[in-house]
Amino acid sequence: MTPRAITGLGICSAVGIGREAFFRALEKPVLLKDAPHRPIASFDASKFEDAAVAEVPDFDPTKYLGDKGLRTLDRLTKLLVVATRLAAHDAGLKRDGAFVPPASPTNVGIVCSNAYGSLEAITEMNRVAVLEDARYINPAKFPNTVANSASGYASIWEELRALNVAVSDGNCGALDAVGCADVHLASARAQSLLVGGAEAASAALFLAFHRLGMLEAGAMLGEGAAMLALETPEFARRRGAKVLGQVLGFGTAFDAPDHDRQMIFASQDAMRRAIRTCLDDAGVNADEIDLVASGISGLRPFDMAELAAIHEVVGDRVCVAMPKGLVGETLGAGGAMALACVVGWLGGIAPSAIIAGEAPGRVRTALVTTMGYYGNASAVLVRAV
Amino acid sequence: MHRVFITGVGVVSSIGLGKKEFFRALEHGESGISQVESFDPSALGRDVAGEIKGFRPEDHLTSAELKRAGRCSAMSLAAMRMAIRDAGIDEALLRGPKTSVVLGTTMGEADVIADLDHAWIAGGQTAVRRTLLPKYGSTLLPIHLARAIGAQGMVLTLPAACAAGNYAIGFAADLIRSGRADVVIAGAAELLQELQFSGFVRLAAMAPQRCQPFDLNRQGLILGEGAGLLVLESEAHAVRRNASVQAEVGGYGLTCDGYHITRPHPEAMGSIAAMRQALEHSGIGPDQVDFVNAHGTGTRANDQAEAKVIRDVFGGRRIPISSVKSMIGHCMGAASALEAVSCVMTLETGIYPPTIAYETPDPECDVDVVANVARRGKADVVVNNSLAFGGYNAVACFAKPGVLPHPASLPPRELAAQAH
Repeated sequence: MTPRAITGLGICSAVGIGREAFFRALEKPVLLKDAPHRPIASFDASKFEDAAVAEVPDFDPTKYLGDKGLRTLDRLTKLLVVATRLAAHDAGLKRDGAFVPPASPTNVGIVCSNAYGSLEAITEMNRVAVLEDARYINPAKFPNTVANSASGYASIWEELRALNVAVSDGNCGALDAVGCADVHLASARAQSLLVGGAEAASAALFLAFHRLGMLEAGAMLGEGAAMLALETPEFARRRGAKVLGQVLGFGTAFDAPDHDRQMIFASQDAMRRAIRTCLDDAGVNADEIDLVASGISGLRPFDMAELAAIHEVVGDRVCVAMPKGLVGETLGAGGAMALACVVGWLGGIAPSAIIAGEAPGRVRTALVTTMGYYGNASAVLVRAV
Repeated sequence: MHRVFITGVGVVSSIGLGKKEFFRALEHGESGISQVESFDPSALGRDVAGEIKGFRPEDHLTSAELKRAGRCSAMSLAAMRMAIRDAGIDEALLRGPKTSVVLGTTMGEADVIADLDHAWIAGGQTAVRRTLLPKYGSTLLPIHLARAIGAQGMVLTLPAACAAGNYAIGFAADLIRSGRADVVIAGAAELLQELQFSGFVRLAAMAPQRCQPFDLNRQGLILGEGAGLLVLESEAHAVRRNASVQAEVGGYGLTCDGYHITRPHPEAMGSIAAMRQALEHSGIGPDQVDFVNAHGTGTRANDQAEAKVIRDVFGGRRIPISSVKSMIGHCMGAASALEAVSCVMTLETGIYPPTIAYETPDPECDVDVVANVARRGKADVVVNNSLAFGGYNAVACFAKPGVLPHPASLPPRELAAQAH
């Protein structure tokens, strides 16, 4: 791909809201497993024993969005709108809520991944329909059930009119969003795109992971939204933007399991092909990679397949980090959370949550990898400027 | 730069399976709207939809697929198999990393989440079946399809609500143009499901009996369901296997209103810009377009905004437009994919499908609606318009092979020239 400049970061995560707070947390990293247990605040967890979720703590959207117009929005939307607003401002596309020329509503857009939609909204509507009457469904909240609702609201709140693309590819979605953004920047549909992903904690999501035994297996569910401003280096230069790093390549692959009945599948082959395609796309050799920010989450078969593919293609001495150890499994936002960590590490913060290899003295070239639950895998290559 | 061709199409719809049945019914103005049977809508005061009555997944899926796939994926699998047969492509050519699958939808497996929720509400946590959980997620649609054909490239869902078909087809074409894929299975699918049906009733958007786009006495939309799938190939790939080419995918336009979550912008600026972008990326002017497949939902806000778009883009010229939603209802995520299939058939046959139930023209919609009976006319270039929830606007352009002056390009020619 043509290099894309990363000019800003907006983030709502378990360890901080906004780039500065997030980077401060990266400087003093605490693994979730060592962090004090916090009671769940975003949903009623009283029916779950010892429930733990890496929530965005004390999330108060009114601090960023004011207190008007929030009443019918769900948590997913509020997390995303805040992250998007912060990213646009961090990138200097906006100042005090207004676009700074040459950035304008018609040349800035959004590409956003989300894996499971607003389960909060869907389950609430289903509860009303079953326990009361479908005639009592709140029409002002019904739009939240639609999968692109959060990104649609982000366009409304932030006047992002160039284009709005919602992406879904499970845990790989946020890296796929980078691949989509590259195509849309190439076609000049937008000059700058806010790109990333969002996922919100909810009782339904927690229950699903709990029932599938994925929490006991080690994955700590997280939530949040992470958005990066991506643009052509020319546009970044033209508007005098600071450049935090460059995206150089993207790769994705799918591989089906052999067994007919099998659905959930950790594919080492797909991961290997995604990384190779990404390196080809970037024109970068495997030995140039200083660090891999992996999607490793504590689910053993997935972790082993991902690590094996990384070792196979990048070499078995490469430093592999596990951003999910810091911010939790944020699913559709996962790749963007890892990119956020990488941006910090490229900027000189010492890498943390390392699970294999030795931390390099300096991170200049980093690979971000993610594995989906169904045989899908994606990778993005980022380099310091 | 690669041209992108459509070499096969497949349809699961309320008016028939496969492109022939589907388009024959559209041509004859047959309605697929009927009494809803899959759930009991009686309390809601609305009870009709473009519900599919004649689709049996077991006729199209393997027994393993029947176990794995929800109904939305089942419709997609069936439509894909029809499209692949229609393309006459050797399945061996679909295997491997250069084939991708890009699908649009609004809710994906809406039945699955409803079943899970209902079990949870009735029986508590332990009633939520572990085997059902992995079947939920719009992510799964392209994965079931890729698995069925051995595709190993990108598997992507674009949940772009009622514009999802155009999003998927447009992005699929870009994947080919940028060299990331040789073949992409693209399209969209949507189920009719109780929660969405109730929601549209609660939004006061649903008509009692008929969908009457651009009619003064319209009463709203009628929901529908279905799947429209297309086989897209690079020119080189199609030539290499001596494929019969049905249409070229021209440029497409994407914009967002950023105005209201459900209503289109009353001045339709975003929608106008999207249509202009589609033409610009196709390298053509409005005079070269022969027919517009309108989004035409039959709501006042949509129809009037869309009429503005047509007048603004085509000026004084009265270009023929039509909405097949009058016959199959609004199939939400699947709508613009089913309509893309209809566009391909219009290019092939020169037949513009009618807008049925068009009785009293709305003076606020001063456009040339193909009223009640199909019309024959020139069909070298057609435009597929869509607007969606979230303020999404997506417009795709399809042409007879050889008509567009040059391959739709990344970036459009004029901009590329400026950059050098």
